[in-house]
Amino acid sequence: MNNAKLTNTEDGATRWAMRCLILIPLAGLSAALAGCIQVKAPDKPIEINLNVNVKQEVLVRLQRDAEEIIQDNPELFPK
Amino acid sequence: MTKQGKIILMAGIALVAALGVTRVAQAQSAPVSAALADATVGEKADGYLGIRGSVAANVRAEVESINIKRRAAYTQRAAARGVSVEAVAAATGCKTLSAVGAGRAYQLDDGFWRVRGAGDPAPVPGNCPAV
Repeated sequence: MNNAKLTNTEDGATRWAMRCLILIPLAGLSAALAGCIQVKAPDKPIEINLNVNVKQEVLVRLQRDAEEIIQDNPELFPK
Repeated sequence: MTKQGKIILMAGIALVAALGVTRVAQAQSAPVSAALADATVGEKADGYLGIRGSVAANVRAEVESINIKRRAAYTQRAAARGVSVEAVAAATGCKTLSAVGAGRAYQLDDGFWRVRGAGDPAPVPGNCPAV
């Protein structure tokens, strides 16, 4: 059989050609993926306690609002 | 009575009412200020005033009145920012606690009352940005 002879051959050039045949579709696939969605691992470890994190972020974001509330309503914030 | 007379009368009533309200508002803050100074009333991390120990009925009533008005202000701001009332209140708590003077009472999110000592750093409730 021709096929058996081809796969069993010890010829280096043929082996190289076969490896290329396998690698070309893989290369094409990765190129296609690169053009679509890039999934990147986060730099920092993933925080499990999301509740605390979100709250701190919100508090930081609202500091200016808090300042305005105090300044606009001095009678509600007696010294 | 002419229409003009009615308008003048109404304006007079409104003016008297406005003066009365102003006087009440001015009178209101004095007992609470005194209670803050002797640490029987203090600021809390949740953005409201709290009563520490026993206070006179008028002080308690004022603290409650102030807290209701604070809540109204927080609610308005929360709606504008699309966040919870508690978040705006706690953000304000960060500010009020950082401004607590020595010898005055404050309550962190653990619910315990403390009095700021003369050399103590400004209290920072949990999750508040450092001052």
